[in-house]
Amino acid sequence: MTKWIRWSGLLGFIAVVTLIALLIILALPWVFKASIEYVGSKVAGAQVNVDDVDVSLVPLGVTITRLQVTDARQPMQNLLEFQQAHADLEFAPLLTGKAISNELSVTGLEFHTPRSVSGEIIKPVISDDEESETSFKQKVGDALPDADDILARETLRTPAAKAALEAGWEKGQADVDAALAGVPDSQSLKKYEDDIAAITSGRLESVEDFRERKARLDALKKQFSSDRKAVTAARDTIQATRRDLQAKLEALRAAPGEDIAYLSDKYQLSGAGVSNLTGLLLGDDARKWSAEALYWYERVRPYLESDEDELEAEDEKAPRLAGRYVNFPTPDPWPSFLIRNARLTGPFDGGQLIISAVDITNEQQVTRRPTVLTATGSKLQRIGDLDAVLTLDHTGEKGIDTLTVKISDWAMAPLKLGVAGAELASSRVAIDSKAVVTGGQLQASARSVVRDARFTGSGQTLFAKELNQALAGITGFTVNAGAEGKLTAPEVSLGSDLDRQINSALNKRLKAKQDELEARLRKKLNEAVTDNAGQYASQLQELTNMEGSLNQRLERLQSMASTELEDFKAQQEREAQEKLDREKAEAEAKAKAEADARKDELKKKTTDKLKSLF
Amino acid sequence: MLTLFARLLNALNSDSAPGQVAFAFSLSLFVGLMPFLSVFNLLILLLVLILRVNLSAFIFGVMLFSLIGYLIDPVSASLGEAVLLAPGLQETWTSLYQNEWMRVLAFNNTVTMGGFLIALVSLLPVTYLSRVLIIQYRHRVLAYINRLKVVQVLKASKVYALYRTFAE
Repeated sequence: MTKWIRWSGLLGFIAVVTLIALLIILALPWVFKASIEYVGSKVAGAQVNVDDVDVSLVPLGVTITRLQVTDARQPMQNLLEFQQAHADLEFAPLLTGKAISNELSVTGLEFHTPRSVSGEIIKPVISDDEESETSFKQKVGDALPDADDILARETLRTPAAKAALEAGWEKGQADVDAALAGVPDSQSLKKYEDDIAAITSGRLESVEDFRERKARLDALKKQFSSDRKAVTAARDTIQATRRDLQAKLEALRAAPGEDIAYLSDKYQLSGAGVSNLTGLLLGDDARKWSAEALYWYERVRPYLESDEDELEAEDEKAPRLAGRYVNFPTPDPWPSFLIRNARLTGPFDGGQLIISAVDITNEQQVTRRPTVLTATGSKLQRIGDLDAVLTLDHTGEKGIDTLTVKISDWAMAPLKLGVAGAELASSRVAIDSKAVVTGGQLQASARSVVRDARFTGSGQTLFAKELNQALAGITGFTVNAGAEGKLTAPEVSLGSDLDRQINSALNKRLKAKQDELEARLRKKLNEAVTDNAGQYASQLQELTNMEGSLNQRLERLQSMASTELEDFKAQQEREAQEKLDREKAEAEAKAKAEADARKDELKKKTTDKLKSLF
Repeated sequence: MLTLFARLLNALNSDSAPGQVAFAFSLSLFVGLMPFLSVFNLLILLLVLILRVNLSAFIFGVMLFSLIGYLIDPVSASLGEAVLLAPGLQETWTSLYQNEWMRVLAFNNTVTMGGFLIALVSLLPVTYLSRVLIIQYRHRVLAYINRLKVVQVLKASKVYALYRTFAE
């Protein structure tokens, strides 16, 4: 048996293993440093610098001194840096190439620190998605001109209506004058009446007298017919002219109202134009924060997701098939990389920020536990209390990532509203938000309560002054934000009672100003109307009177035209009849007188006989 | 490479026990068919160094079986996958998985498990077959070759001197 054992081989094995171990130990700090800088730069998209890495053997661990992560968008600034980090390492997993740490502690964590040299790797071409269309800011930022400017600039209905009335009047007047030229005047009518009286009065002496009078009457009637036609035509002309001018005058009178409505709408005096002020107020920051969060999420997400196809594809490219690790249930899983507990502390906003994390790994399908990061800070200078929890759960087929952020008292920095020079000079904000990303779909909501708001503004335009007046009365409001849809392009909605408050306050202010401007506009427009309409109204009245006068003349002419002359025979018969009637009346009167005389005589005789008897 | 080949020829032609050469060659199956950089292979190396087996044969075997392993890795992976996922063995594997040193051996890797099983199954046949071949080589081929004129000429050459140097 002993001839099968070679003890010198054991020494050789020990020597070889020791040599390998020494090489590894000596190389480990460099390997760690290079790995951290390479992988970190890949994730951050900018340089990650480590000053020094120390590896201790007992207990096995690694200490990193000063790590800086460049902000890819500002290469002269670090996104974060820390002074020292220490992580213990488990020996057994390390033998299989797995880095597992039970405890990572980071001290001196700071954000947004300046760099001495640029940490830029590449200069990414960032597409500018700014809207090319006229922004709301520009729209509402336009100064309102005064009434004279508006009247001079705009094409309004009032001047047009006035011109139409003037043109209509000139034409109508010409028509009326022409029509009245053939109409008999009052003197003519009086003469006609005298002539008729002369013809119809007096006794017809003879047949010739009768004929002569009738001829004169017929001539007058012919004249009457001609005059009547002229009067009728003049009356019709006057009526048509009056109707036309009446319509034009009505149009002129209505024009200022229509112009006011048009100008009110165009120059946004209604206050509806500021309904999206919340978007202006918080939109930029919300977009910036979202972009920041999305930027980092997109960078980290590929390392969280387990894509078997990708792994297999990588395996196929390897010199030899690496195979797949089948993981069995265990309380002590070994993914390729795992930090079971991490605690990061550092000065932040006048206080201390504490970030705790559990189960940080890129292989959650192995650990079967989500990565949970918690950031807390109390009585911070600018944000009060901070309580944020980020849960990255990629243990199932679909990853569910959840972020909740609560900020108790955020002193929002002076914020230019970007409209009319207004600025939210100071405010305190309490935020409660939650965002969930599932399968690339975002569902987020946030409620912010803003209090102690103080708005200032230096705008000199009418709108700016009014907006500032309106904002001055607002000290608190709430903002509800939501985002839904594809992570890279979610539909963002912002709602706030600030809109309602501003609308209410601004509408009051604007209503007064609107009334004032409307009054000025109306006055100017009405002046234009009155100058013309008043004149034309009296002239219209004259036309109406003239029409009445013509009607009267027409009636007189008609009356005169109906006058008839009695013929001579009829006159003889009438006179004979009259004579007969007269003689008959005389005979009847005579007979009655005789009867009365006899009656009186008989009465007297009777009385005398009676007296004689007694 | 030339040195290794010379050492191998020396081993084959020397008086070393055929079993020692054959077993060293067989042990290389594990290193060749399983992922190279593993703790398991370190143990095989320890075994090879402690046991009085022929190192040249082992190294030659590692090279040969690594080439074969590269070709049959997919088969190894499939076999390992099937074994590791076999429902009847889940309890066993889970139990083994709780021991961190078993995990250090990467038994739960499909290629490791498949390569190990193929190597294990092949160990005895390869040992036996290679031992037979070595004996036959020494008995027939070597005697025949030594009788050749050309070999006798070669033995007088510098190449043979080199060979002898390593054989010493």
